[in-house]
Amino acid sequence: MPMDRYADMENKLRILEDLNMMYIRQIALSLQDSDIQKKIDHEIRMRDGACKLLAACSQRDQALEAAKSLLTCNTRIMAYMSELQRMKEAQVMQRVARRSDGTRSSDAGPMDDRLPCKGKVAISDLRIPLMWKDTEYFKNKGELHRCAVFCLLQVGGEIHDTDMVMVDRTLTDICFDNTIVFSEASPGFELRVELYSCCSEEDYSAGSAPRKLASKLSSSLGRSAGKKLRVAMDPGACSPTSNGGAVTLLLPGHAVAGPKYHLLAHTSLSLSHVQDSFRTHDLSISGNEDCSYWVPLYGSVCCRLAAQPHCMTQQMMSGCLKVKQLGGDPQSWTNVYGVLKGTNLFCYHRQEDMEANVEPAFTIAINKETRIRASEKDPHSKAQSICISNQYGGEEVTHTLSADSHEETHRWMEAFWQQFYDMSQWKQCCDDLMKIELPSPRKPALVTSKQGSLYHEIVIDTSDDISTVTDILTRRMQELELRSQLGTSPPWMSLFEESPGGPRTPRLARHSPRSPHRLPHSPLSPLRCPWPGLLSSDASLTSDSDSPCSTSPCSRHRGWAEPLSSPRFRPRTLSLDAKLSTLRGRGYGGVLQCSCQPPSSSSLGPIPAQCVPQATLSCSSSTSSNSSSEGSHSPSSLDGTPFSRPSSARRSLRNVRAKLDPRNWLQSQV
Amino acid sequence: MKGPLSYLQPGRNTKVSDQSETMSFIPGQPVTAVVQRIEIRKLRQGEHLILGFSIGGGIDQDPGQNPFSEDKSDKGIYVTRVTPEGPAEVAGLMMGDKVMQVNGWDMTMVTHDQARKRLTKKNEDVVRLLVTRKSLEQAVKHSMM
Repeated sequence: MPMDRYADMENKLRILEDLNMMYIRQIALSLQDSDIQKKIDHEIRMRDGACKLLAACSQRDQALEAAKSLLTCNTRIMAYMSELQRMKEAQVMQRVARRSDGTRSSDAGPMDDRLPCKGKVAISDLRIPLMWKDTEYFKNKGELHRCAVFCLLQVGGEIHDTDMVMVDRTLTDICFDNTIVFSEASPGFELRVELYSCCSEEDYSAGSAPRKLASKLSSSLGRSAGKKLRVAMDPGACSPTSNGGAVTLLLPGHAVAGPKYHLLAHTSLSLSHVQDSFRTHDLSISGNEDCSYWVPLYGSVCCRLAAQPHCMTQQMMSGCLKVKQLGGDPQSWTNVYGVLKGTNLFCYHRQEDMEANVEPAFTIAINKETRIRASEKDPHSKAQSICISNQYGGEEVTHTLSADSHEETHRWMEAFWQQFYDMSQWKQCCDDLMKIELPSPRKPALVTSKQGSLYHEIVIDTSDDISTVTDILTRRMQELELRSQLGTSPPWMSLFEESPGGPRTPRLARHSPRSPHRLPHSPLSPLRCPWPGLLSSDASLTSDSDSPCSTSPCSRHRGWAEPLSSPRFRPRTLSLDAKLSTLRGRGYGGVLQCSCQPPSSSSLGPIPAQCVPQATLSCSSSTSSNSSSEGSHSPSSLDGTPFSRPSSARRSLRNVRAKLDPRNWLQSQV
Repeated sequence: MKGPLSYLQPGRNTKVSDQSETMSFIPGQPVTAVVQRIEIRKLRQGEHLILGFSIGGGIDQDPGQNPFSEDKSDKGIYVTRVTPEGPAEVAGLMMGDKVMQVNGWDMTMVTHDQARKRLTKKNEDVVRLLVTRKSLEQAVKHSMM
């Protein structure tokens, strides 16, 4: 049976894998390089973990993340492997050379040649623009073809990966917010940037969004969807370089089920690309449109590549010196403590000053324009002195340094030569210190739920009640009323007077003239004072269905005199949303928004959670209140109040808009 | 459209039946549930006929927000509110019931609007619902023990 054969093959592959792991470990052991050994062990453990996670997880997002870590681990292991092989080769070569020469050839190393200092290289703000066909961009029907992408960055043996980003046709650029810092890079570094992607088609399970399910039920699979599915189900069809050719044998990723990433594009950056600002570089794209993992790239990548050589950030040399400025008073040597760092030689009066971060006494510039030479033996002093000449403006200023002993002088000369050499190697990085922002430990980005709605993330304190929100609002109203009494009423207050433009029913005309007069005399209960009249007046607008209609009958029956003070009713029957919608109907939206801001950040009862965020955040759209009032769960009792029916025109409008609002769980009264 | 459902219909009052299964929904498999038949006479309110309850759910709605369903992927139609003293309450409908059929029309695989329309047909005075609820299952289980 074919199934057995596959199982057999899988077993064989797994055995090969284990053997390879053992081989790698053996090499590491034989080289007795505990550092690499530890690293390899660590990566192998991570890889095992990722494989297990991949096998165990069911969610697509988890699987994608696990596959990403698997790819990173594999690449790292490959890098360590190659390093090990190199070291092994070097060792073997050394032994061979020694045997043939009889002398140790290790001296032939770069002792005479100078080695440039290492530095920190940081790449940040990676942005890859996309180029969707305009037909795709504006297509509203059909499924969103999504891909998961991430970048792998490699300098020598150091490999880092960025976070994963989901790409679909609503995105114009792929942005990676990570800042990746490579700490020990030589000036001849090669930063390899590789973009991997994996298509992320929704599988047709119960977990998919309701709308998609409905659309799938109603329409059959189109040609493009079918093609994508076919490709997705056929792993490795478009992946000539999945995980690198040789690696597939060594670390068979195929043995592991789950999503597989494919190399989509790559580029190499080096010292010439380093700049303190953003630059655009070209990408080499592998793969074509027919691949499942295809994302239409514009062909370039923008990023900020900065480098901080150690000669700019660290103290290269320090010691006691005697400095004399030429042209100044001869024989006036100043004793200083000199520190060579970056493009300057800082001279402090004492060593303690430097440690205390006191300003140096003076600073001598050491840069590309500086000329340094050892002068002849000064008859007055014992040792050689060093002359440093700089051009300041049109003038040439020369300082003479003298150290305590011949060895000190020699060391200082060495330091200066090394500094010059570093500057010549690191070129533009030594003009000015480039800023590298270390990635701060920030919390992982909020993973939005399947609905992707921010409203589901709002923290709601269940102890608080809708009444607190209404209290805040009424208090604000009261303040404003007081102000209006003083004559400085805000412009929107006029809306509470007879406003000719507002949508009104006969009931409104009856009540509204009373409201401004009523308010100053209203009794203590704050809830009563501004809201009831407005609620009743707009009953027909808001009472499209269950809960808001509770407001209108209540107030209609109870009228003005009847206090809605019974605490039983206050929080439940008068939904905040209904109140807001009435005010909104009079164009109150703008001001209400500001008064709503403070409550929105704090707590709201769990039940009206759906109503309030919409009201606070989108005050302008009046129908959202209608729909959200539909969506409220409050099972309020109506005490036999008559049901009111909206007109059919308003109802159809409400229906359409409510249906388009994905946050709602619609309820209809029948 | 009559869906591929097989019901156990013990009649108006719950009775012992041969099989009782859970309410879980497995796509493609026939649904088995213990149901209660509820007959609601619509009440005339001006020019509208009302039943006196509210429904929620549907295949176009988000099932995770349904407070009454046990299985949060259940996209069926649930009774979210029953107006006191209304026709539905009088007929025995309870909040949290899942509506399986209305006058023979399936309600387990409908959109929210389709469900609402099937309940509010103007030419029908009476709706006969088949509803199911957890307590029915338990009652049957207990009586079988």
